[in-house]
Amino acid sequence: MTTTTNKKGPNIRAIVIISVAVALNLLVAFQMARWSYSWFPPQASSAAPYVDDLFALETGIGSFLWFGLTGVIGWTLLFNRAPKYDESYGEPIEGNNRLEITWTVIPTVIVFAIAIYSMQVNDKLEALGPKHKYAIGSDPVAVAAVDPRATVGPIDVIARQWSWEFIYPDGVRSSELHLPINQRVNFRLISEDVNHSFYVPAFRLKQDIIPGSVISYSLTPTREGRFRLRDAMFSGAYFSNNQTDVIVESPESFSSWLKTTAKKPLQPGLSPGSELYAKRLATGDKGWATVPPAPAPMVNDPGDASIPHDA
Amino acid sequence: MTSSDSSLQLNHTPGQVKHSGHNLTGFVIFLCSESIIFLAFFAGFSLFKLTSPEWLPPGVDGLDIKMPLINTLVLVSSSFVAYVAERYLHKGNLWGFRIVWLITMLMGTYFVYGQYVEWSGLEFGLSSGVFGGTFYLLTGFHGLHVITGIGLMGLMLYHSFRPGNYDKGEMGVTAVSLFWHFVDVIWIILFVLIYVWQRY
Amino acid sequence: MTSTNFDPRILKAPHPVPGAPDNWKRFLSFNTDAKVIGIQYIATSLLFLLVGGLLAMIVRGELITPPADLVDPTVYNGLYTMHGTVMLFLFLFPVLNGLNNLLIPTMIGAPDMAFPRLNAAAFWLVPVFAVLLMGSFFIPGGPAQAGWWSYPPISIQNPLGHFINGEQIWLLAVALSGISSIFGAINFVTTIIRMRAPGMGFFKMPLYCWTAWGAQTIQLIGLPALTGGAIMLLFDLSFGTSFFRPEGGGDPVLYQHFFWFYSHPAVYVMVLPVFGIFSEVFTCYARKPLFGYKFVALASFGIVFLSLIVWVHHMFYTGTPNWMRILFMFTTMTIAVPTGVKVFAWVATLWGGKLRLTTPMLFCLGGLLNFIFAGITGVMLGTVPIDIHVGNTYFVVAHFHYVIFNAIVLGVFAAVYHWFPKFTGHMYYEGLGKLHFVLTFVGCTLNWLPLHWAGLLGMPRRVASYDPEFAIWNVIASIGAFMLGVAAIPFILNMVSSWARGPKSPPNPWGAIGLEWLLPSPPPAENFEDDVPTVINNPYGYGLCQSQVVDEEYYIQRAKEA
Repeated sequence: MTTTTNKKGPNIRAIVIISVAVALNLLVAFQMARWSYSWFPPQASSAAPYVDDLFALETGIGSFLWFGLTGVIGWTLLFNRAPKYDESYGEPIEGNNRLEITWTVIPTVIVFAIAIYSMQVNDKLEALGPKHKYAIGSDPVAVAAVDPRATVGPIDVIARQWSWEFIYPDGVRSSELHLPINQRVNFRLISEDVNHSFYVPAFRLKQDIIPGSVISYSLTPTREGRFRLRDAMFSGAYFSNNQTDVIVESPESFSSWLKTTAKKPLQPGLSPGSELYAKRLATGDKGWATVPPAPAPMVNDPGDASIPHDA
Repeated sequence: MTSSDSSLQLNHTPGQVKHSGHNLTGFVIFLCSESIIFLAFFAGFSLFKLTSPEWLPPGVDGLDIKMPLINTLVLVSSSFVAYVAERYLHKGNLWGFRIVWLITMLMGTYFVYGQYVEWSGLEFGLSSGVFGGTFYLLTGFHGLHVITGIGLMGLMLYHSFRPGNYDKGEMGVTAVSLFWHFVDVIWIILFVLIYVWQRY
Repeated sequence: MTSTNFDPRILKAPHPVPGAPDNWKRFLSFNTDAKVIGIQYIATSLLFLLVGGLLAMIVRGELITPPADLVDPTVYNGLYTMHGTVMLFLFLFPVLNGLNNLLIPTMIGAPDMAFPRLNAAAFWLVPVFAVLLMGSFFIPGGPAQAGWWSYPPISIQNPLGHFINGEQIWLLAVALSGISSIFGAINFVTTIIRMRAPGMGFFKMPLYCWTAWGAQTIQLIGLPALTGGAIMLLFDLSFGTSFFRPEGGGDPVLYQHFFWFYSHPAVYVMVLPVFGIFSEVFTCYARKPLFGYKFVALASFGIVFLSLIVWVHHMFYTGTPNWMRILFMFTTMTIAVPTGVKVFAWVATLWGGKLRLTTPMLFCLGGLLNFIFAGITGVMLGTVPIDIHVGNTYFVVAHFHYVIFNAIVLGVFAAVYHWFPKFTGHMYYEGLGKLHFVLTFVGCTLNWLPLHWAGLLGMPRRVASYDPEFAIWNVIASIGAFMLGVAAIPFILNMVSSWARGPKSPPNPWGAIGLEWLLPSPPPAENFEDDVPTVINNPYGYGLCQSQVVDEEYYIQRAKEA
């Protein structure tokens, strides 16, 4: 990366230095790209590998640029410093049209290549289905679109201030989301109060839940374990506690869970905000105004917040 | 270029040139910016109309178009009247300007009165769903501009009696008349969106 | 060639307050001199940098441990909301308007702004909405708590049901700030278009003016859209409409469009002038002409145009249809190109220069390094699949603080140091300046670099508590944040003591090129008054043995004798 305009003819030393620098930079960039895979939670959905590959590619290109540019700036800092009391000027180069065109065209090509690749990755995620508006008070399920390729679901995901409720097609209600591995699941994302977001970092998927709309959303979990489901769209006072777990399990344990849970009576599920709000009221209701938490959802499986999650 | 012996003399005369249109530039920039608020409201209105699950509030089956149409004709023609007034002023016919300018103001006032009559006869309010909200927001915000326009015209009329008011140009009148045309164009779009579009 | 170039536009604006008192009291009065207003803006905004920084440190104090144990979560939400609001509307916009006031008239040789009284009115709105906003801490229910996005329906929930509430005051304050910004924008654009010195065509204009012009154009186009959205939100909150209230058929996502149509370009409103500062500072201290002046100048407007058509990238995961996501991904990626043109030009400007590492140069170098980094993470965020994972996590928080603090604020500090001698007439202390730089650079890197990883691992933004696996990143970040707090001390010391008793500054202490450096330090009330130089060259002729204006020696002598 290179402005050797002040030399006459090819300068062997400069070419060697630049080649070595570029080779080193490529090596570092490649290592950064490989390293970037370790910055994520485990890959637990069919979408995750695509996202991580794309991120690694961008980390590689980004690292090359970053180390290249900082290398050049560092070089000038080392070798182009004016000595004390030196009032002279640098070489007055006002520009170079060929160089300008180069660094317009090459980045354009690179960002478009990344964009096209991202477009393909985006197509492979196949997560977002149609979004339909409905009048609050009417039945959102009536307008919701169902994903014909999903083998599980549609599971209604109901987000509230501040709790999660999952309703399975056969009426089983749960505070934690149980999913069978390697099967495409379809959700209907519904909110009854404010914006929320359905975000499972291990799945690399996130979808806002918009009150007044029902959104069809699908994904395929690919790894067994207990993963965190976080509300990622700010939803008020106890927003940060509005988390629950997704349990990905074998199809056998999933169906046995469904069967045993269906027999359990309805009981109050996880509602982390309620406890904290009760504590706040008990200690004199200090702090600024908040709406009270929605009552805990009545579910068959109340879940257990004390079990540690994998990611 | 610069020789040192000429260094302490002025070899260019500092001129005192009157720069016209300085205020007008600022005003035109302001109007362009202001139009974006309306554009935002229009975009919002269109989006609501296209996507709302329930558009008209219960018991309302649309807006009557007859009276607003008369209103529209008055407002649109007032723009031409304002132009005539401006021509009079340009030709130096001060009384012609004042009279025609006053006619413009009266037409504007009639428009505001017409809006008032329409508003008071409607069976839905500001909080009647998105339809009520957008209707009152758009017509109200526009009405505010009309009233401001009439006020500014009044000010210009008052200023026209000051001796030597137009020695430095007719910038104020030009700006206000520009504002009036702007308010007019906004109304035409608004009329098409709110009143005409409901039929289709 | 010399005097035939005379352009008859003259630059004497009507000056409603002749002979303003030449003492510190003028800074507390409704003064119409752009240089006084500029300093008023900058002083006010630096005060609010402290306020916003203090709020940030409480936020980082809360986040140093996983549970929400320092303040109640509602208080936390109010604090970070006010932190964002104060930093944007009471620090960054005012400080940049302050620089505009100081630099635009002096750089283009105008005696003042086009509309001096409007200018003063725009400034005096700042304390008004500052008082409003600060007052909202003390009303029942506390200040706004919905984040600086103020997304409905959360922002219109109004838990106490009072007519006057934190959110309402917040909206009024933002509206007043918008009016002030529009006044400012009309003024700056008119001044740049109509009041340039004779001979100063657009392609002889300093880059700061180009970028300020571009930034203010965005204000003029974008702000009204936000104002429209804010009016509708206020009506929803206070007058029972349901534009964004789903219960009445409203659409909460529409607000997001209004909001981001302005608030994404708003980042460019802030970063563009800093690009201008980079161009001024790098050329001055590398002693070289700007590499590709015309490309860098035009790239500013490339950025302005593109910035207005990228806003949906903030909404990739709100249910935006796929075609729209793809479309806006492409526009977003394109914006890297004009930005890249600028970055490469600065690096090429440094290459082979005679670098002098003064405080402003250090701040600009640090800012440039951070900006390159932020640009790379920005491209990552622009791609739909990655944004779906890291959007609304700490990765975004880290990215935009890299832009806003690590690049923009560092650039602002550079500008404050670079032009301090010019507008106060005193030199600052280089040692304290460098200490300030080191603390700031290390602090901001510690603060925001680790948070990228917290975000990649899935830590959502705006949380008052978090799972223990994110603790390590947050501890480092909090240490960095407190370091930034410490960095304020040498800065304040330097500014106050230098202005009070710093050595007198010559008209051009840095050997810089530009009309402002041909004025005495500090410049007289009407800058060049009637004797405006005629410009013949662009302002980056370092080492080219050309003068920027006709009779340059005369102006240099005049400034020295003043």
